[in-house]
Amino acid sequence: MKKLKIGTFPATILTLLVVYALVKWGIPALSREVTSLPFPLPVPGTLMFFYMVLTVVALFLIVTFSDEGLNDFLRPVKKLLRGGYSKALRAVVLTAIPAVIGWQVYELTVPKVEVPSSLRIQHPSSNFPRSFEAKKNPAAAPTGTEVETFMAEVKANEVQFIAQVQEDIEHWLEEAEPEHVLEFFPGPAMRKLLTQLPSGELDRDTAKAALLEKTLFEGRALYAMNCRACHGDSVAGDGPMADGFKLRPIDFTDNGTIETIVEGYTFWRVTNGGPGLPAEATPWDSAMPEWKLSLTEAQRWKIILAEYDLAQKTPRIPESH
Amino acid sequence: MTSLAKYIVAACAAVLISAPALAAVTPANPMPDVTEELLEQGRGIYFKRCSFCHGLLGDGEGPAAKYLDPRPRDFTLGTFKFRTTHSGELPTNEDLFRTISRGLAGTAMQSFDGDMLKNGLSEDQRWAVIAYIKTFAQEFDDPELDPVKTGKVIPLPANRAPFNAETIAKGKVVFERAKCWSCHGKLGRGDGNKEFRKDDWGFPIRIRNVTHPWKIKAGGEVADIYMRFTSGISGTPMPSFVKSLNEGDRWNLANYIKSLQHKLTGHQTLRAHPVPGALPEAPGDAAWRGAQPMDVRLAGQVVAAPRWQNPSIEMVTIRALFNETEIAFRITWDDPFKDVVHDKAQEFDTAGISKIGALSSYVEANGMIPRALETFRDAIALQFPVRPPQGTKKPHFYRGGSSDQVHLWVWKADLEATEEGNARGWKQPIKLQGEDGQQITGQAEWDQGRWSVVMKRPLRTGDKNDVQFEKGVFVPMSVNAWDGSNGEHGLIMSLSTWHYVFLEAPTPITVYVYAVLAFLIAGGLGIWLMRKAEAEGEPAAENPEEEAS
Repeated sequence: MKKLKIGTFPATILTLLVVYALVKWGIPALSREVTSLPFPLPVPGTLMFFYMVLTVVALFLIVTFSDEGLNDFLRPVKKLLRGGYSKALRAVVLTAIPAVIGWQVYELTVPKVEVPSSLRIQHPSSNFPRSFEAKKNPAAAPTGTEVETFMAEVKANEVQFIAQVQEDIEHWLEEAEPEHVLEFFPGPAMRKLLTQLPSGELDRDTAKAALLEKTLFEGRALYAMNCRACHGDSVAGDGPMADGFKLRPIDFTDNGTIETIVEGYTFWRVTNGGPGLPAEATPWDSAMPEWKLSLTEAQRWKIILAEYDLAQKTPRIPESH
Repeated sequence: MTSLAKYIVAACAAVLISAPALAAVTPANPMPDVTEELLEQGRGIYFKRCSFCHGLLGDGEGPAAKYLDPRPRDFTLGTFKFRTTHSGELPTNEDLFRTISRGLAGTAMQSFDGDMLKNGLSEDQRWAVIAYIKTFAQEFDDPELDPVKTGKVIPLPANRAPFNAETIAKGKVVFERAKCWSCHGKLGRGDGNKEFRKDDWGFPIRIRNVTHPWKIKAGGEVADIYMRFTSGISGTPMPSFVKSLNEGDRWNLANYIKSLQHKLTGHQTLRAHPVPGALPEAPGDAAWRGAQPMDVRLAGQVVAAPRWQNPSIEMVTIRALFNETEIAFRITWDDPFKDVVHDKAQEFDTAGISKIGALSSYVEANGMIPRALETFRDAIALQFPVRPPQGTKKPHFYRGGSSDQVHLWVWKADLEATEEGNARGWKQPIKLQGEDGQQITGQAEWDQGRWSVVMKRPLRTGDKNDVQFEKGVFVPMSVNAWDGSNGEHGLIMSLSTWHYVFLEAPTPITVYVYAVLAFLIAGGLGIWLMRKAEAEGEPAAENPEEEAS
C-alpha cells in the first residue's frame, strides 16, 4: 500500500482541529465514562485556550525547526496566494478570512444583553439568630410527661391525633372496627406496644418509640398538606408547583441541603421563609412562605422531623459553646 | 473491534426497541406472587408514602385530598383511568407499575421511580405497594376480570407510521372526522364544550388542552396518546375509539395530537422590539408577528393563605413592542371559558383559613369557592418594581413589600380595561391609582380558548408610583393570572417569579466602524501578501507531492 503523504500545512491544520475536537468533545465524553454521571464535566474556556496555545507553540517549533520544514509549510500558502490552485479559490479565501475577522471584531465590540445575575448564598447566616443554633426539635425527644400522657391515652384507647388526620382515622375506625385505634400503624414499635396492652404494663422505651412513630405520621400528613405542592412527595424539590418558580424549591435528598445545617437553622428558615432572608440570599426570588403566619411551632417541628425522615438525612450537630 | 461493533449494534437495537414502547417505564420482572410478606411490605410503604392523599382505606380521602384537583384515586372502586386494556376493564399490573413509576403529569401524583429519584421506590417496593393497593378493590380477586387472562390487553399496532408531515396531516383529517374538536376544541385547547363536564364521581373536570404537554397526565409520547383514545379514560367522558377508528387512523391521530404540543421558549428576558410609528392596540395586529415571544410559567399562589394549588393558567406568552414614546405588551394565554362577569358577593372570606394553626391554609378544591361559569371574571396582571432595581435587588415577587412597592397593570375581563395600581406586600389589597394615573390603553379578545390582551402606555410618565422604561435597562416583570370559572379571584390565583423586559438600545455606530476597519486591514494585508507571492514567482522546483498526485 502506498504511504499516504500529506503536506506540512494540511497536517498542521489537521492537528489543530484534532486537538480542538479532543478537548471540546473528547474530554466531556470521557468524563461521562469515568464519573458515570448523566451529564459531562464542562471544559472551561481558559483550559481550552491553554491547550490550544500549547498546541500552536508546539506546531510552530516543529514547522520552523528547519528551513526545509518552513518551506514545506509555506509552499501551499504561497501557491494559493499566486492563484496556483485557482483564481476563484484565492478570491474566496482572501475575502473569507477578513470577513471572519471583521465578524469576530463585531462580536467582541457589540453591546451584549446579559441578564443581571448574582451569586446566591443558599445558607446565609448574617441574620441567623445565635439563639436558634442550639435549638433541639422537641418533637424528636418527647419529655417524660409526654410519654406518660401517651401511655395513658393508649391504655384508655383514647389516643389524641392532630385535627388534620382525624377525619381519615375516623373513616378507618368505622370501616375496620378495630379493637384499638393504633392498629392502622404498621410501625414495629407501635406493634410491640399493642402486644403489651393485654398485660396492662407498657414498656416506657417502647412507648417512647411508638410516640415517635405517631409524631412522624402526623408530621408526614402536615408535610403532604403544606409542603408537598412545591417540595414534592419524594422531598426532591419537584412538586407540582415547582416548575413555576425560577428559584426551584430545595431538594432535601441532595447532600448539600438539610444535612449540612442544624435543626435550629431549618426551623428558622421554615419559620421566616423567603422574606426572612438577608439580601445575599435574594429573598425577592424565594417562594418559601413565612410559615409562622400559618403553622404553629409544634406543627413546624413535626414537619421538620418528617422532612429529615423522608429525606433519610440527619441534621448537623450544633457546635458546643 | 468486533466486540465494540457488537456493543454498538446491541445499543442501537436497544434504542430502537425501547423508543416506541409507551415511553417506557417497564419493570425488569413481572409482579411477584402475592404473599403475606409482600402485602405487609406494601402496607408499610403505602402508610408512609401514599395514605396522606389516598387515605388509610384507599378511598382517596386522605388528609391532603380535598385540596387537590384532580382528586386522588379511590382504589376501592376498581376504576382506573390510565390503562392499556379495553374500555371498562381493570388495568394490568404493568399499567399500575407505569403510573407509580412515572406519576401523572400536572397532578399531585408524582413519580416514585427509584431509578430516577434518590427517595423513590425500588422495583420490588413498587410491586409490593401495587399488591397492597389491589387488595382495596375486590374486582382484582376475580380471575374472570383479569384483563391478561381474558385477552383484553391492547397491544401497540405492529405498523406504527412515523411522525412526519404526512402522517400528521392524515391525523388532522381523523381529528375532524371523529369530531375530537367537539370537546377538545378546533385547535386542541379544550374549549369545545360550552359548559363544565363532570366525572363519574361528580367532580367538575377540565377537558384536556392537548397543546400543553406538561398537563398530559399519562404521558405525551405518541404511543401514550394512542393508548388514551384506544382504551378510553374510565370514569370520564373520554370514550374509547377502538370501534370507530382503525389502528392506522388512531396512530396518525396520535401523531397529529403530538404535533400540537407547545414547545416552551427558554429565555427569562423579553426583548421589546423597536418599531417606527404607532404601536398596535389590537391583539390581532400584524405588527405583533415581529415581536419576540417569551413563555412565562406560573404556579399556584402557595406563598401565603389563601393558598391555591389548582391553578388553571400555568403559562402565559408575552410580546412587547416600543417606539420613541410608548411601549405595548401583548399577553396571550389559554382559557377554555370566557368569564366576563364578577359577583363580588361570592368572593371567598379568607379569615377562616388565614389563622395560625388553622386546619389548612390552602383553599379546598371543591366546596369552599364556586368553580362555575358566570361567577368570577378572568383577569391578568403585569407587575413591575416602582423603583429601578439597584444591582439585582428587587421587591419580593409576591406583590413587593412595605419598603419596596410594586406597580401593577391589572386587566379585568368584566371592565374590558386595564387598571393601574400599587401594592406594598400581599397583606393589603392593590391600591388603585387615581383617575389621572390611569394611562393604559389597549384592546382584548377571546378566540377559540385563548385570551389576547394588549396593554399600552407611555415609556415615561411623571408619576412617582409608576414604573418607567428606558432603553438598555433591564426592568423586572412578573405575572399574576386569574381564571374566573376556576374560582380564582383575589389572592386565589396563579403567579410567576421575576423575569425581565429589555428595550433594545440601538447599536453604537463605532461597533460597525471597528468591524469594517478590521475587514479592510485584514483584506489589505491579504492583497499585499498576494502581490508579494506573485512577485517572488514560481520557484524552480515545484513540490514533488503535487506532481505525484
